Amino acid sequence: MEPLNIILILVGAAVATVILDPVFRKVRLIELSGVIACIAFLSTLVLLVLDAVAGAPPRIIIFGPDSPLTTSLKLDMLSIYLSIIFSGLGLMAAIYSIRYMLFEVEHLPLDDPFWVKVRELGLDRYYALLLTLITGMIGVTMANDFFTLYVFWELMAISSYSLVAFRKWSWEAVEAGFKYLIMSTLGSLAALLGIALLYGLAGSLRFDAVRAVVFGGGNMAAAFSLAMIMVGFGVTAAIVPFHSWLPDAHPAAPTPISAILSGVVIKTGVYAMLWSMFKIFGPATYGFGPALIGLGILTMSFANIAAIMQTDIKRFLAYSSIANIGYIITGMGLAAHILRTYPSEVGLAALALTGALLHVLNHALGKGLSFLSTGCYILRVNSREIERLEGIGPRMPATTASLGIGLLNLAGVPPLSGFWSKLLIVSAGLGIPSDGLMLAVTIIFIVNCIVAAGYYLWLFQRLAFKRPMLDGGLKEISEAPALMLVPILILAAACILITIMLNPVLQFIRSALEVILG
Amino acid sequence: MSLYEIYFAGSLLLITTGLYIIASKRHLVKIVIGLEVVTLGVNLAIASMGIRIVDDMIVMDALAQGMIAISIAVAAAIAALALSIAINIYKHYGTFDIRKLRRLRW
Repeated sequence: MEPLNIILILVGAAVATVILDPVFRKVRLIELSGVIACIAFLSTLVLLVLDAVAGAPPRIIIFGPDSPLTTSLKLDMLSIYLSIIFSGLGLMAAIYSIRYMLFEVEHLPLDDPFWVKVRELGLDRYYALLLTLITGMIGVTMANDFFTLYVFWELMAISSYSLVAFRKWSWEAVEAGFKYLIMSTLGSLAALLGIALLYGLAGSLRFDAVRAVVFGGGNMAAAFSLAMIMVGFGVTAAIVPFHSWLPDAHPAAPTPISAILSGVVIKTGVYAMLWSMFKIFGPATYGFGPALIGLGILTMSFANIAAIMQTDIKRFLAYSSIANIGYIITGMGLAAHILRTYPSEVGLAALALTGALLHVLNHALGKGLSFLSTGCYILRVNSREIERLEGIGPRMPATTASLGIGLLNLAGVPPLSGFWSKLLIVSAGLGIPSDGLMLAVTIIFIVNCIVAAGYYLWLFQRLAFKRPMLDGGLKEISEAPALMLVPILILAAACILITIMLNPVLQFIRSALEVILG
Repeated sequence: MSLYEIYFAGSLLLITTGLYIIASKRHLVKIVIGLEVVTLGVNLAIASMGIRIVDDMIVMDALAQGMIAISIAVAAAIAALALSIAINIYKHYGTFDIRKLRRLRW
């Protein structure tokens, strides 16, 4: 399979939803544009899984002559691993959106008839943007030069700005959209400045050419561009000094988009950081390990404290996303520190990175599941306040049970795989007992994990077991519609399935890591 | 000072100006203008990296030209989106002043 095929399928489906939308509205079947998106995501997912099962060797496709100036795409185990997560969660969100977006149509503050409202909302644009968002993310993982990476990065970024501001009749969405746009664009520009400097150093943007110049010897310009790239991609990854757009932007989007944004879009930033720092620059030369560790610790500690104080369930989940990014960044930082200080302990660094990459998967599943379940509550109760959702568990048993699995996975309760990813990072941190920095980091990491586990379980018991505060307020609440329940149950099953199949998953991640560590 | 250094100094100047505009102005449209100025600065940085002197003639590398073209297109898309969001904010509050907004404090 060519990497270009996947991108063509998704972009083609995006164009098809826009072109065919008048036809769908004429035949009164607006669900069809959602079905197109589902088919596109499903075929992408199947193609990628087939590729992963076949264990295909890495491929590089160069457009035009093989010169340092042409662009190219790659497809290796790391891009397949991340693309499977991206398109899988995209598929779940698309299935979910078919029913959920009808709820958004009904709640448009207009007095017009239903079909006018459908046109006003723009379901075709919604699915087209969802498709281009996933295309951008998959393209980022498949890029083989910084030019392609930047193009797909902006495709992803612009789609996500529009989707955050999609509910343009609500003050929250437009404000959050504007804030997100300004901050994230500044981040992209910082990364672009770093890329421009790399281009000046290497005369090319192909990863292999840039790596040949900067990997061994570090000079001031290379270090500056590394810092720029770290800050630039760090804004999208929501690392703490640059995180303040996230708690506004993620709750303001329609719920399936919140799931995508929190579950996978921030992981694209993590991938871009991981790739450029470990593969292009090399931790042994530049020594960014302590900086990454510091950012990771700051990120998780701040976000965990902030999450406890939230009363809005979507903001709560958004803060917990920042905390989880902190875990992943800390894992990466530990690996970088080990690779620089103890060059013989490559296995230990691989352990930390395995934990980080497994946590990418766990958090995508857990957070996608939590956001989608939250959407069911919002659909039924039409409120995001945790207080008003208390005791909803018995009314919506399937949704709440699935949410429980997602929250337990995020909390890292054994035997779910969320526990194993954190354990891998902790065991890498304890690997060299004589190193005080790593020991201290690991202790802070464990404390954070315990605090996080506490508030996830506390949230779950409030939703599931507490008596409703508002008498009779939840009487008429019934289980979520079947079409919305299907992706939730699939994700809950996936959480358990990954726990059972942990060994093959870890082997897959190890083969993905070979791409980075060699 | 070589031509490359002059261009790069100019680009840093533009970036600083743009950041100052974004940080100090309270008007939504002016913030978008500041963003565009930063973009111009980065474009100029790419251009300064792409300068090649061939046979005493100053030429620009093809990749740098491509990148700048894409970057300009992206900046146009972002400006259009930002202004359309600004219009929606104006519809809600009747003002472009970010101090009147509820959550736009970074």
